[in-house]
Amino acid sequence: MQSFRRMAKPVSYALITGVLALSLHGPAARAAMVSTDQIVGAQQSQQDRSKVVALLTREDVKTALSTRGVSTADVQARVDAMTDQEVHALATKLDQMPAGGDALGVLVLVFIILLITDAMGITDIFPFVKKPARR
Amino acid sequence: MFALLALAGCASSIPQTERVLADAHAYPKPVELATVPFYPQEAYQCGPAALAMLLQVAGVDISPEQLVPQVYLPSREGSLQIEMLAAARRQGRVPYVLSPHLETLLTEVASGHPVLVLQNLGLSWYPKWHYAVVVGFNLPQGELILRSGLEARHVVPLATFERTWARGRHWAVVILPPGRLPQTAEETPYLAAVVPLERLKHWREASQSYEAALKRWPKSLAAMLGLGNSHYAQGEKCEALWAFRRAAREHPGSAAAHNNMAHVMAELGDLHNAEKAALRAVELEGDKQPIYRQTLDDIRRQLAESAPGKTPRVSCPEPAGIRRKSVAHRRADIR
Repeated sequence: MQSFRRMAKPVSYALITGVLALSLHGPAARAAMVSTDQIVGAQQSQQDRSKVVALLTREDVKTALSTRGVSTADVQARVDAMTDQEVHALATKLDQMPAGGDALGVLVLVFIILLITDAMGITDIFPFVKKPARR
Repeated sequence: MFALLALAGCASSIPQTERVLADAHAYPKPVELATVPFYPQEAYQCGPAALAMLLQVAGVDISPEQLVPQVYLPSREGSLQIEMLAAARRQGRVPYVLSPHLETLLTEVASGHPVLVLQNLGLSWYPKWHYAVVVGFNLPQGELILRSGLEARHVVPLATFERTWARGRHWAVVILPPGRLPQTAEETPYLAAVVPLERLKHWREASQSYEAALKRWPKSLAAMLGLGNSHYAQGEKCEALWAFRRAAREHPGSAAAHNNMAHVMAELGDLHNAEKAALRAVELEGDKQPIYRQTLDDIRRQLAESAPGKTPRVSCPEPAGIRRKSVAHRRADIR
């Protein structure tokens, strides 16, 4: 946590510089043109602030996809094609989202069995399960 | 016993099916989109397979294998909905999420648009998530026809489908060729679905989509500005000017329309009118948005620097379709 705090300042400066540089080459090519995103989306001042957050979150989602088996070569383009809202949704609840692929939740079943066996006092996997006192 | 009854009660809850079947005379004949291609899915690859079927119909020649690195998430042995949408955008197509009603889904299929759906074929607590493509239905029989898994023609009772679809939160998507609107599209959600194409620099497809949106919603400010911005990004300044001019004319209170119009006018060398438009934007919202003031300052600097009469000016005569009536009359009089 301490090291994170120490890092936070230079990282945020670097990010803000990055955002400013980006906005110069924004979709509408000129700094003072209003983008369609700003018209369809929320108020602009809000968006500017959330841009910094969004950049940070995009990095988080890239890492999340990589650790879940997506090759580093593919991660960048996959995250680039998402909107800020989508990136935010993935960053906060990726593992709760359905992944269509016909996989059966075997892990869920194992989890339940272990939960029951834990409750019976046969196994001792989950600290939150209250084990029977004796036997 | 009570739990069993509750379960049974749950299983019989199919309000949408009941509604649709009560109104079955709306589609007395079966509908089937026989030309939608079929890709049998390989293990865990229903996402890429279903997406490839829709993209083929939308004019993108892409195989499920090519889509695997774009959507498949190995540790989850499946594909996330967000990534399915993102992958469609990468091919320059607008993925449009339908309103969660069976009627909407049927309307799209009847309009010739196959629909991608997410189902949970298992139970809510023991899920089996699955993507399939709805390609037809037969209301008198109460059936839906899907491209699903290894079956090119999976016929399923509407009631069963509704239960599996409801467990996937009624998620349904259409992906169409650029410039073609979903039959049931609504203005704001549709435009919000087009904007992300700009991020990926699919400007051509974005402008085609804005144009189609304007045909259906001729008053849409966002579509006009989107059209202007996407033409501008392609270097089509006259087309951009026409779009912004139309926006400023039909939405005189839009500062963004005047601001963007001012920019294009200035770049076309019409500094005098550019200043007027920029000033209008500042009057409207200059206190809220510093960029409008910036535009005005920019143009005034250019005006001060340019020798009078020396600025090269590009003229953009508006094509007949979007020309103002009074201007058209005036031109006719001159002739």
